[in-house]
This record gives sequence, C-alpha cells and structure tokens, in this order.
Amino acid sequence: MPEKIKKTGKIKYINKLLTDKEISCVELTQKYIDSIKKENGIINAYVNITEETALKTAETVDEKIQRGEKISLLEGIPMSLKDNISTKDVETTCCSKILKGYVPVYDATVWEGLKSQNAVLLGKTNMDEFAMGSSCETSCFGGSLNPHNTDHVAGGSSGGAASAVSGNMAVYGLGSDTGGSVRQPASFCGLVGLKPTYGSVSRYGLIAYASSLDQIGPIAGNVEDTAIIYDAISKYDKRDATSSGSRVKTVDTLNSSIKGMKIGIAEEYFDGAGEDVIASIKKAIEAYESLGAEIVQFKLPSLKYALPVYYILACAEASSNLGRYDGIRYGYRTDNYKDVNDMISRTRSEGFGKEVQRRILLGTYVLSAGYYDAYYKKAQKLRGSIVKSFQDAFTECDVMLTPTVPTTAFETNYTSKDPIETYLTDICTVPVNIAGLPALSIPCGFDNKGLPIGMQIIGKSFDDAKILNAAYKYEQYAKDEIYKELESGVRI
Amino acid sequence: MVGKDDILKIAKLAKLSVDESKIDELTKDMGEIIEFANTINTAVTNVESEDFDEINNIVNAFHQDEIAESYDRELILKNREGGLDGYFFVKRRSEK
Amino acid sequence: MSWELVAGLETHVELSTKTKIFCSCTTEFGGEPNTHCCPVCVGLPGTLPKLNEKVVEYAVKAGLATNCSIRNISKMDRKNYVYPDLPKAYQISQYDKPLCEGGYVELNSGKKININRIHIEEDAGKLVHQRGDIYIDYNRGGVPLIEIVTEPDFRSMDEVVEYVEKLRLIMKYTGVSDVKMQEGSLRCDVNISVRKQGEKKYGTRTEIKNMNSINFIAKAMEYEFRRQIDVLESGGEIEQETRRYDSGLNITESMRGKEDADDYRYFREPDLVTISISDEQIDRCKKSLPELPQQRLKRFVEVLGLPVDDAELLIKYQKVADYFEEASAGVESPKTVSNYILSQIFRRFSTESEKEEFNISIPPEYLSVLVILAEKKKITSQVARNTLEKMLDEGKTALSFISEEDMQGVDEDDLRRLCQEAVDANEKAAAEYLAGKEKAIGAIIGFIMKYSKGKADAALAAQIVKEIITKEI
Ligand SMILES: [Mg+2]
Ligand SMILES: [Zn+2]
Repeated sequence: MPEKIKKTGKIKYINKLLTDKEISCVELTQKYIDSIKKENGIINAYVNITEETALKTAETVDEKIQRGEKISLLEGIPMSLKDNISTKDVETTCCSKILKGYVPVYDATVWEGLKSQNAVLLGKTNMDEFAMGSSCETSCFGGSLNPHNTDHVAGGSSGGAASAVSGNMAVYGLGSDTGGSVRQPASFCGLVGLKPTYGSVSRYGLIAYASSLDQIGPIAGNVEDTAIIYDAISKYDKRDATSSGSRVKTVDTLNSSIKGMKIGIAEEYFDGAGEDVIASIKKAIEAYESLGAEIVQFKLPSLKYALPVYYILACAEASSNLGRYDGIRYGYRTDNYKDVNDMISRTRSEGFGKEVQRRILLGTYVLSAGYYDAYYKKAQKLRGSIVKSFQDAFTECDVMLTPTVPTTAFETNYTSKDPIETYLTDICTVPVNIAGLPALSIPCGFDNKGLPIGMQIIGKSFDDAKILNAAYKYEQYAKDEIYKELESGVRI
Repeated sequence: MVGKDDILKIAKLAKLSVDESKIDELTKDMGEIIEFANTINTAVTNVESEDFDEINNIVNAFHQDEIAESYDRELILKNREGGLDGYFFVKRRSEK
Repeated sequence: MSWELVAGLETHVELSTKTKIFCSCTTEFGGEPNTHCCPVCVGLPGTLPKLNEKVVEYAVKAGLATNCSIRNISKMDRKNYVYPDLPKAYQISQYDKPLCEGGYVELNSGKKININRIHIEEDAGKLVHQRGDIYIDYNRGGVPLIEIVTEPDFRSMDEVVEYVEKLRLIMKYTGVSDVKMQEGSLRCDVNISVRKQGEKKYGTRTEIKNMNSINFIAKAMEYEFRRQIDVLESGGEIEQETRRYDSGLNITESMRGKEDADDYRYFREPDLVTISISDEQIDRCKKSLPELPQQRLKRFVEVLGLPVDDAELLIKYQKVADYFEEASAGVESPKTVSNYILSQIFRRFSTESEKEEFNISIPPEYLSVLVILAEKKKITSQVARNTLEKMLDEGKTALSFISEEDMQGVDEDDLRRLCQEAVDANEKAAAEYLAGKEKAIGAIIGFIMKYSKGKADAALAAQIVKEIITKEI
C-alpha cells in the first residue's frame, strides 16, 4: 500500500489504485472530505462543500468498478470547481454577496463533460469577487490562505482552487484566468496552472468577468495531470460562439524531446521582478540549455502598455457583463427602496464589494461618451499592437519563458493597499490574455522564506501541447530538487 | 482630472448609488486609477493601425433555426421563489 | 409662409424565424408568461448567445428587397442600458457595421425614401404595470428584429403612411416577417421636425416612440406637427426630446429630455464572432427573392391591364394577389377576375385580417371556369354572379350550378343570329332608330330577351343590334 498519493502523475496513479481495487472511490473521496474538514477552517479554500453528492458519485464509480467496467482517467478523481463555474443545483456565487443563494439551473459545459465522466466534485472554491483581484481577499467569504505559510495569501483570483490542491483538499481544480487568475495562485502555491489558448475551452457557464479575456484552466500538482485535464476540457462547444476546441491531445507529446526548441526571453518581463525570482528562472534557463534548448533574447516594448490596456478592456467588458445583477431575476435584492430604479441601484451598491464597484465605474467611464476614443478605442488599438508583437516574437522562438509573478505570495491583508500597486503585480500574466495565447505556470524554486516561485511558459495560439511539453521536460529534470519540497497528497 | 460630478454621473450610468460619505474617497481612488489608465495615451500608435477586431479568427458561428424545448417556467423562476403568477415581480416600493 | 413637415422613420420588424435570435426557444407570439424562455434568453449568469443563421438571411433579404447594399463583413455590438425588460442590461444590436446600408423604397409618385441602414438586434421582454408593481414576461425577449432607419425624407403624413404600407408589403412578400401589427411585429419610432417652406436647415426634432399601428402613426404625427408649429408660432422653441403617443387622449407627451438621453456605451459584443457574407451568397439571396409588391403592381397594371387602384387592392393581400393570378390563367380579361374578387368575394370579408387570410371555399380554377363561361357569353353576367354566390357557399364548381337551360342561346354566335332575327322582325323599330329615335331599339331588345328567356346579355345585344341596323343601310 502506498503511503501517499504522489504528486507526480497523480491522476494516472489514483486511476490505477481504483482499477486495481486497492482503494474504493468512496474511501478515497472520504479521505479528501476528511482533509477538507480538517484544513478548510483555516485555509478557506472551499466556500461550499458538496459532500453528499461527492460520495454518491463515488458510489456510482465503485459500482462500475465492481461490475468490471472500465473507468476513464478522470472518473472518480476528487476535484473542485471555482465558484464562478455554473453547477446545476449547487449554489454558485462568484463569492459575491449579490449572488448569494443563486442556484444555477444548468451546468457549465466543462462541468457537464466532467460530470458525465463521474468526476467527484468536492465543492466550490474561493475566489476574488467576480474574479477581480490577485489575493482572493475580495471574496465575500474572506480570503484563502497559502498552505505553505498561512501568513500569506493563496493568490487570486482562483485562490481557493490552488489552496485546495496545495492543501491536500483536491487532486485538481478548475479555475478561470482573465489576467493571470489561474497562473498566479498556482505560482504562489507551488502548483501547475494552465491558461489555455482562448477558445480551446468552452466559456459556456463560466460567469463572465471579461468575455474576450476569460478562459477556464486547470490547476494541478504536476504537468501530466494538467495535460490530462486540459485534454478532457478542451472540446468544441456549439453553445460558445468563440469556441474552437483543441487540435491535439497534449498528453501524447509531453515527453517529446525539446532539443533545438527555441526558448525566448524578453527582458521587459524581468523588470521589477524580485531577486529570488530572477535567480530561480536563471537556473531554469540553465536547465533548459542542458536539455538542448536554445535561448533567444529579444525585446517586447509594447508590453509597457499591457497593464493599462488590460484594465481598460477588462473593466469595460465587466461593466457590461455585470449590468445584469439588478435584483430582478436572481440573487440579492435590497429590502429598502422607493421605486424600481432605486431598487436596482441599491441592490448593486449593497451587493457588490468595493473593488468590483471600482472596476465597474472605470469600465463605465472608459466606454462613456467623450472618453471612448481616448481609452477604450485606444486600448483596442494597443491590443492589436501587443498581439502583433507576440506574433513577431514567435517567429524567433517556440515558447517564451518569464516569471509568472514578480514576487512570491503576498502577505495577508494585501488588498487594503493601494489598488494600483495591486494591479502592477499582474504585469507578467496579463499580456497573454490580451493576445489570447496559452501559458502555464510551473514551480521553479523557493524564495528565502520558503515560498514557491513560479515561472511562466508562453506559447503561440493553439501551441498548448508545446508549452506542456516544455514544462514536462523541465519538471522531469528538476523534480528531485523542486518537488521534494512540494510533495503533497492525501495519506491513504 | 476627475471630479465628484464625473463620478456621480458615471455611477448613475452604472446604476450604482454612491454613499455621500464615501464620495471623496471614491473620487480620489478613481482619479488615481484613471490616471493609471491614462498612461496608454503616452503610447504612439500608428494612426492607421486598425482597431483590434477579435481574439480569434472564427467567423459565422451560427445556430440553426430549429426549435428546442424551452425550460420549465418553474426553473426560470426558481431563483425568485417561483415569481408571481408566472411573472418575475417587483413591488413598486419596499415594505419598509 | 406655411410650415413644412420633415420626418424620418425607424421601423422595427419582427422576423418570422422559428427560433429566437440567440437561443433555440420558440418565437411564437403569446403563450403563458415566461414559458418560451431558457437560461440564454433570460440572461442567466454564464450563458452565451449564438446567432441564428436565418436572422442574417432574412435581414439580407430585407436589405436586398429595399435596394440596400450588403456588407461582406459585419459584427454585433452591445447597447448598454438598464431596464427590467432587458435581462442582460444590454441589447445585442449592431452599431457601426450594420448588415445593410444605403437603400430606398419608391413611392407611387416616383419619390424615393432613402434607407440609411438596416441592422439586426434582439427584442426586449414585456412589462406589465399594475398599480405601480411590475410583472415581467421574457417570452418576447430575444425575438429577432430588424431595424430599418430612413433618412429624414418624409414631407407629408401621406408619404409616411404609404411608406409604412409599402414596407409592410415588402416584408411580407419576402417572407421576412408576418408583420402582424396588432401583435406588435412592426413598430415605428418617428423623428419629426418642422421648418418654414423653402428653408434649407432642419428644425429641432422630437422623437415619438413605439407605435404599432399606421393609424396611430398618422394621428401622432398630425398632433406633433401641429404642436411644434404652435410652439414656434407663439415664439417658443422646440426641445429635443423623446415623446410618447397616448392613443386614448390623442396627444403626444414628453417622456424624457435631451439631458436624460442615454449614453449607450456601444462596444463590440465579445461573445459573438464576425459575420462574413460572400458576394456569391448575396447573389444567391437576390435570386431567391420573389417578385416584389411594387413590381407586381406594375405588371398587374401594364401587362394585365388592371386599373391602378384595383391592382393596389389586390397586391395589398399577398394571398389575394396569388389567387387572382392563378384564376386569371387562360382568361381573356383578368379585369373580370379582379372585379369578381374585389366586389363579390371581398364583400364576404369584414376585417383586414380576413382579407389577409383569404379563406375561400373554391380553388382559383373554379373561378377561371366561371369567368371563361361568362366571357364566351355561355352565361349572362347575372347568371355568373348568382352562380359565384352558390359556388362560394358550397365550394363546388360552376358547372354544378349552371343548368343546360342557362347555357342556351347566349353564346355570341347564337346571340348574333337572334339579333338578326329580331331586327328582321321589327323593321319599324329599326327604321325609327335610324331616324334618330334611340329608344326605339328597346322593342328589338325586348324581343331578344323574350326569345332568349332573359338569358341574353342585354348590353351586348344592344351593341350587336346597332351594328346590324347601321350596316344594313
Ligand atoms: Mg433598435
Ligand atoms: Zn431562450
């Protein structure tokens, strides 16, 4: 009997344990539930635990195994969903007061797919309100702490998804990434987080923050698991007009040689990054060189405008996407108003938190008459030039290597600080969303406090397989050094 | 520079009611954020450069004109305790 | 100096697709509240729209039928405003790249009303106000619309009425809409201003919103035209504002002024992708267009020889015009067919929608046979009229009501023979007629009617008799 479920290759390993009947799915699920009950009080990864349905699904899987039926890789694997992914009959709040009590009547496409394979949903994970934040602290349920050090945040906005995996409360989780919300918490918690190419994973059922930037992505303990999940969720969906699905199966090429692969380094990504972070990535670059990759250096000056462009476009779309929370059809409604207009305004002011209201206001401002050209239109033009400069860069390299975040996990009570300062920490992650590219974060070291450092690998559109391949090779190379510290898993 | 009046105008458009006691702080915050957004106006973009159009190159993603069954009204109204007489309902003013 | 009216129209037409513009719910009118709804058209969080292909096809058809050019590349935009009937707080519409641009509708006078653009968008839900409480039904939410925007080309109420009527017919003929005005499937907003005759500059305009009957449009404009003149003549100024027409009081009243005008914050709908239409597709669509009402009107007048008024009445109801065309096949005088339809058959219908439906018990071929019998003078027009009544009552052919007797002696050759006999037998009367005593012919006709048992066509008989008498000289 294994002592622990190993971090590396966890999904395949559990699948084997289940098929070989070394552990039943109910036992496995129960262990995760016990772990949640033990840890969640402090970590606050979950805002809603779906114990009953999890165990019921587990029973179904066990019956299948008992009948001798084959189970798919993700069948019976305990996992979590970020609380902005719609789950039929399970409350979905985006961690906002305005959606408290809202119970979707349909499943998001990603969940529909996983549910049909009997994925065991343990619960809905904590996040910044409407995915607006970098620390999970704008959640109406309070922030989620970093299992590596509870004086620090898990990151955001998919903080709960990351702290759940990192804290042994799920094998993997699905989060959403609009400006880094999967990669940044993965980086803070020492995990792998993938933001797929825009359009490869259906957004149907993902409660929108900024539609042209949002993308659902997995957070898992290792590259192979990430690839398995990506392959399962990257399907064409006729309900999402922007959906194209994936063109390849990424697990098949994970171990392909990266000899001769050109890895691009753009110096702008390293401006303002912490010493520990730069040092770790330098070591990773050396690792890649020893694996036969070629390092290419270049400049990406258009990145300078990526942050304001991101905030203008994301907030503009958000101001429109969040208009529907008016108290009429679902969610919170104020109980003190004088007419319907007053009802709507009060509901929104009482229901949305401070950061969300700030972003709605900014978005409204940049779209309003007289300001549209100077902000929204200008930002769209700059978006075009950022897209173009990435296209140019990828004529010189196959993938790009950057820090995921300039720092390691922030200390708690982070958001009470100056909002602009918070926005600035997204500098490395947002360009990818602006250009619709695939990118992932993978652990590459620790800072002097022992907090994980992540590095980001960016690919061209639909090169998700290539970045997973590059990440896998690095993981294999560095696992002894990096991963022994990160070893996690539920004792079984 | 954004002033209180701008904030109130934008808030009205955004259907947010701004508390009188918080207006100064909000104006200051928003001023800083807008100034930050303003940095894009230092960027020189080609005047002829096209507006960025869309994030992927998909065209003509259509649904066919074939009726699918609508949802049970019970589900449509589920998050409003079933509504009133089959409708979503808003009372003219609150009881309070 | 007299005042001149300047008006432009924005017309919303509900398309006759089976499903809504962004989901697969039915567009059927009515239904219990909130039963034609799904998460998409109620705007539940996380849902995404997907454009109905048929909506694009219909809009292109409407554009081609009104002489617009069609954009090869088009897109959807969000128009943001908060109102309880709009579940997403934005309407998905088109802003700067509408599907169709730059067309016109020609009036009978030959004047062209220019169409600036036609775009596609979604309808809102329906609010029911009761003692200040609001009840909301989203069945209509997401029903596809086209919005047809004209230039301010109208100079009279009559032009507006004629335009709306013509537009309605075009939509109906192309199959783009059922245009049932009572169900609100055609609604107009009117922009209206006045200026002194001869003046070049436009006056300040007001907009009257959401009228769904031609009658109301005319009345509202009449009122608003007078009101603006009164304001200006008493030294006042027109305020740019949005007004609503109260049909009960027959007045327009202010809804909101310019300062409250919405700021819609249009931007590209990121959930939908580019609409791309090739020239070949546009050509194919053009070829699939049926004959349009204006062309049909011309043909009825120029080729089939109908008076304009009659032709207009026929084409007004597509089914009637179709019936007329079928019944006219093989008939010598289509006008006779038209006469039967417009007088005798129409008398049976009391409402517009009955004429529209044109539910009649006999197929057009039955009417053809009857008209041919009458044309060949096998039966008199009196017999034909009576027979048609019976046919309409019982849904049977003409021959099932016409007896052998009815058919005798009335064929033109027989009538000619009978006329000759009558002239021969009434030499005196013939001579008197020749001498200028017009009435003398009566005796000869009387003879003919007596011997034909009243079945001869008296008018035709008189004509033949006159020919015979004058020829004999
Ligand atoms: Mg409109
Ligand atoms: Zn629907």
